[in-house]
Amino acid sequence: MASRPVEVAVGVPPLAPERDVIWPKRTKAQLSNGLQVILAESHSIPKFHGELLFRSGNAAVADRAPGLAEMTATVVRTGTQNRASRQIEEDLRSIGADLSSQAGSDISAISFSGLSEFAEPLLELVQELAREASFPEAEFERERRQKLEEVKLHRTQPSFLANERLRKVLFGAHPYAHIAPNEAQVAAYRREDLQSVYREYYTPQNALLLLVGDFEPQEMLKTIGKAFGAWSGKKPEAKAFPSPANPRGRRVYLVHMPGAVQTQILAGCHAIPRKHPDWIKLGLTNCLYGGAFNSRLVMNIREDKGYTYSPRSSVNALRQHGYFSVSAAVRNDVVAASLTEMFYELDKLRSLSVPSSELADAQNYLSGVFSLGLATQDALLTQFSTVAQHELPDDYLETYRARVRAVASEDVLEMARKYLDSGNMQVVLAGDRAQIESQAALFGDLEIFDSQGNALA
Amino acid sequence: MNRLQVAIEHKKLANGLHVVVAPDSTAPVVTVGVYYKIGFRLEPQGRSGFAHLFEHMMFQGSANAPKMQHIKLINSSGGVLNGSTSYDVTNYYEAVPSNALERVLWLEADRMRALKVDDENLKNQRDVVKEEVRVNVMNEPYGGFPWLDMPPIAFRNWANAHNFYGDFADLDAAHLGDVQAFFKSYYVPNNAVLLILGDVKPGEGMGLAEKHFGGIPAGAPPVFADPSEPVQNEERRGRVVEKFGTLPAMAIGYLLPQRHTADWYAMALLDQALHGGRAGRIYRELVLEKQIAVEVDGGIDDLFGYNGPTQMTTRIMHKPEYSSEATLSVFDEVIQQVREKGISAGELQQLKVKWRSDYYATLEGSRVGYMPKYGLMHLLACFTLFDNEPQLVNTILDGFFAVTPEQVHSVAGKYLRKEKRAIVFRVPASAGVKEAA
Repeated sequence: MASRPVEVAVGVPPLAPERDVIWPKRTKAQLSNGLQVILAESHSIPKFHGELLFRSGNAAVADRAPGLAEMTATVVRTGTQNRASRQIEEDLRSIGADLSSQAGSDISAISFSGLSEFAEPLLELVQELAREASFPEAEFERERRQKLEEVKLHRTQPSFLANERLRKVLFGAHPYAHIAPNEAQVAAYRREDLQSVYREYYTPQNALLLLVGDFEPQEMLKTIGKAFGAWSGKKPEAKAFPSPANPRGRRVYLVHMPGAVQTQILAGCHAIPRKHPDWIKLGLTNCLYGGAFNSRLVMNIREDKGYTYSPRSSVNALRQHGYFSVSAAVRNDVVAASLTEMFYELDKLRSLSVPSSELADAQNYLSGVFSLGLATQDALLTQFSTVAQHELPDDYLETYRARVRAVASEDVLEMARKYLDSGNMQVVLAGDRAQIESQAALFGDLEIFDSQGNALA
Repeated sequence: MNRLQVAIEHKKLANGLHVVVAPDSTAPVVTVGVYYKIGFRLEPQGRSGFAHLFEHMMFQGSANAPKMQHIKLINSSGGVLNGSTSYDVTNYYEAVPSNALERVLWLEADRMRALKVDDENLKNQRDVVKEEVRVNVMNEPYGGFPWLDMPPIAFRNWANAHNFYGDFADLDAAHLGDVQAFFKSYYVPNNAVLLILGDVKPGEGMGLAEKHFGGIPAGAPPVFADPSEPVQNEERRGRVVEKFGTLPAMAIGYLLPQRHTADWYAMALLDQALHGGRAGRIYRELVLEKQIAVEVDGGIDDLFGYNGPTQMTTRIMHKPEYSSEATLSVFDEVIQQVREKGISAGELQQLKVKWRSDYYATLEGSRVGYMPKYGLMHLLACFTLFDNEPQLVNTILDGFFAVTPEQVHSVAGKYLRKEKRAIVFRVPASAGVKEAA
């Protein structure tokens, strides 16, 4: 791919022997009301980080309205039976704490961090939000207006529009097709809808409390028992949705943004959820393709050709499905050239075995970066949370590096052939039609939309 | 109160390079940073955006690690890397498993000793930087607001007032001679600090620093342009068209006191009273209570990292049904209240608890992705380059704890004055021209 020969470095010091990577021990418990608890010590700073996760997000309530779980989470932090919004914010500040509440496709969460010396009042407030949120009418109306402005703003962002279209194309009738509500849907939200989401899903039987930080686990368990013990509520009914079909045949979707000085490319296809046995092999394949700075795609279209600043690819895990995507924001006159290189690098992975030195480099990368997740409280929390959310085995973290090392060149070839077919990629381009339509049409049947999602002739 | 103490070793090599080692064996990971005391503020006139373009060039090859090798060697050692350009410093940093420490130091030393780039590299990175500007500014709603909008309105000295990302004409005009001259002037060991944080023993860190950097010759002491501003005696206003978004926005910036003065400590806490999240007075009044604004944020951007004229900047996006003057008058009421009454002892106490908590998060934290100790690295670098005292990391909290309500009241009166501020209005093109700014 390079237009000039790649030179090698001279005199590079060798790596010293690796130090062991030891993940902190997790203390697991379950309260009598069903609340699951996972605790891990990390004494790097006198603080702790936590998450109260609910195993239901926007997908679970998509039949009521898109984004309803997110709106519910937003309003949860604005009032309880005992505290008005302003009181909540001042109470948080007075104990040095941060707190946010949000929902994704599969999860709703209250996330927080604070000084260890104030663990008790912070957990008390978290349980109050989980149990006694009052959804004040005025706060709901205020947040809804803010949400309306947010969804309007989305329609001016190339990355949002590309992402929205790709998810629609890949997931069709499945709730994963919707990444955000539209204005009319936000306008139709009712306070009662939020309250019923809250009643059904914010229950201890549906929840997991994760804490990482500077505390003694047995003491912390007692504090948790005191704060959360009286909470009750049952497990919500699990919802299943029919699997969407993986789109066959490459098609191109152009989201027209008049006057755009650059084009956002986003292409993708179905992949796998995180607990699939191929996950690590596919992750390594992605790392070779476009998942690291040193990857083939970045070296090609950025460092060699200068088409783009931030090309990348990723395997995105949702609970029930997953998808692969590759993106780059490129100059308008090299849209076709960039797509050609993206597909070339995919096809090459399917055709030629990866040289063993390149494979070893990628294995070192994944394995090393993984150990960076040990160094801070919030990175540890992220790791434990990933394991819990995706229902991965208990020893997932401890065995990850060995499993990365076990991937062979043939596995990479197999993964590329199984999942990464340039002929079936769904291609979204967010940009100015007048400048890129003829380039777009080179790659498959073309459909054109405006930024509101209406089809254009 | 549980105080965090960071173990620090500091020394200056014979060539003038500062070395700071902060050992902590919690995780088998080490973070390395090299900070050069040059940012976009003092880049050459006629070469706007050059400091940042130059930062890109530092990844393009050095004497023993040709193009693509620097990135490849860090990634294949299990690490991540990046660089960033700000007002007064440019940094390069890596986080790697600690067994790769010597390799990282070798790479950083190689590019400090002998950058080796050509015209093709420059053309390539010029193209990459233009796409960076397009994706972050020109093709993005509210792109560059207000960090690129404010300087030409607020300041009169070119150093503070120019386009830091670079006019495309200036980027195009940059040639290889500029790259070499900039490197020779500013990328010398006597204008830099090397930081090694995490899984390293102090003696080992110092020894490796000496081994790889000790032989790099010192350069002539860098000559810096004067960043000082003429005294401001009038409110300054300007407007910029917002091409994509539909909400009117404004940013109000007040000049800040000098680093490490008593006023500076008090101003930092006043900033928190005004901008500290949803409990901050401006968010509370404009978003939660009066509901004029949809979003409010801002404050002092990088308290420890600036070394020249800087502002505390409030960003407001407000509902289109309120005029910008009406919005500004509610903002002014908040300001007037702290000017008249200051803040209570209770509020100040809350702010100090939050300050301590935030400070610890900064030290551990990763402002950027998985970069452990990025904040500690940044503070140590700035305290070393600007103040020659990395131990400030362990003592500076005392300065904030000592602030009294009277001092906060006093700085509110002294600095939050209309004749010391500048306002930029970001006016949506879709709204048409409704009012003059």
